[in-house]
Amino acid sequence: MASEKSLAIVLRVVEFSETSCVVTLFSRDFGKIGVLAKGARRPKSPFEAALDLLAVCRIVFLRKSSDGLDLLTEAKLERRFRSASRDLGRLYCGYYLLELLRELTHQGDPHPDLFDLADHSLAAIDHGADLAPIVLWFEFAALRILGHAPRLDDCAECGGALPDLERIAFGQVAGGTLCQRCREGQRQIISVSREALCVLRKFNETSLEHGPPGLPDAVRGESRGLMQHYIAHLLGHRPRMHSYVATAAIRTAIRTGAVQVPGETSARGGGNSRPSSTP
Amino acid sequence: MTQLADSVVRMIDEFAKLPGIGRKSAERLAYHLLRIHKSEALALADAIRNVRENVHYCQTCFNLAESEQCGICLDPQRDPTQLCIVEQPRDLMALEQAGVFRGRYHVLLGRIAPLDGVGPEQLTIGQLVDRVAQGAIREIIMATNPTVEGDGTALFISNLLAEYPVTITRLARGITTGSILEHTNKEILADALVSRQKYA
Repeated sequence: MASEKSLAIVLRVVEFSETSCVVTLFSRDFGKIGVLAKGARRPKSPFEAALDLLAVCRIVFLRKSSDGLDLLTEAKLERRFRSASRDLGRLYCGYYLLELLRELTHQGDPHPDLFDLADHSLAAIDHGADLAPIVLWFEFAALRILGHAPRLDDCAECGGALPDLERIAFGQVAGGTLCQRCREGQRQIISVSREALCVLRKFNETSLEHGPPGLPDAVRGESRGLMQHYIAHLLGHRPRMHSYVATAAIRTAIRTGAVQVPGETSARGGGNSRPSSTP
Repeated sequence: MTQLADSVVRMIDEFAKLPGIGRKSAERLAYHLLRIHKSEALALADAIRNVRENVHYCQTCFNLAESEQCGICLDPQRDPTQLCIVEQPRDLMALEQAGVFRGRYHVLLGRIAPLDGVGPEQLTIGQLVDRVAQGAIREIIMATNPTVEGDGTALFISNLLAEYPVTITRLARGITTGSILEHTNKEILADALVSRQKYA
């Protein structure tokens, strides 16, 4: 059995026996892997507190030649997700990123750039970044890395120019915007405003080295709605965290002042800005 | 064709369903029960039947109980103003073994884990709010597990109870007594520094 090392994000921990767990990790060098962590639940476990959701850890594991689970021999905690005890919105957005990593990637298919993106995004979420742009940036970048980026500059069906209208059709099946001719007879169409489309193009084109572009208040809801529909279409089902993320992003934006609440001079420190406990 | 009697095979199958028991261990347990005195083996069967038929959750705190309320809820010596919130009855037992806490408990019967489809409505959070709303409780001690999901559950509950006149505390966390700072993980050290306390 070969011993391998990598950085990894903990995606899921399931109790396996009295003292062991099965852990799903998204590793930088080996992609998504499932490992057996023997003795992980003992008080003097060799994994310390590294095997907790959203934690980034340095792992050593033994690869099994058969189809069985790999064996985790070491896990050293590099960074813990601290917002779990401070801000539910940040926690739910962190969960959402884990859900996307779990659902969009395949076992043993490495994507170091996706790992770096997830690592950077989780750190930003944990350290107080405005949630809506960082989550949308992660979604676009992850889809681009995995080959599912939507086509937004021209017609995704025929490559023709988009009509000069206030609202453009976005075809989920086609994976992008549609001209009026190609729109005919298509199902699962979302109508998107030209303003939102301009912003979404920026997100679609921003390289990983740059952080997320600005996300104006006016198009936040529309952008989130379009992306949620598109991801649900790609996965074939609605991710569990979608409803949590939409609420969390809006509430955190109100609290940090990134979004102005109508009727209030400033949302920062406003009496209604406290996040609700209802997810 | 199996060489064992059907009833023995059935018992091995049942043992093998228990957590941490593999096929080999199940066989060992079955042979042990066949070797010991009949009354001892039947006492085990009787104990299992008794537990399944008589033990249920306490109607107040959701600890395991044989009557409507558990021994802790019925104990008049327990401080009704302090309430400790735990995830499972086994966590309550661990805290009881520490022998320090003299208040009462509330068992959530799980933790909020949205990725696994477990929401607040599947736990006993509604009943907890009802208990707090009655007004006798002054301090709530969050003793959920120190994991991301445990912390998230504690935060959700503390947000929910913010409108009530109760002090909400949580268990301290940090370095283990008897360990060496040099070998302590930086994240755990950070926790210990954040939760530092006055030198008494």
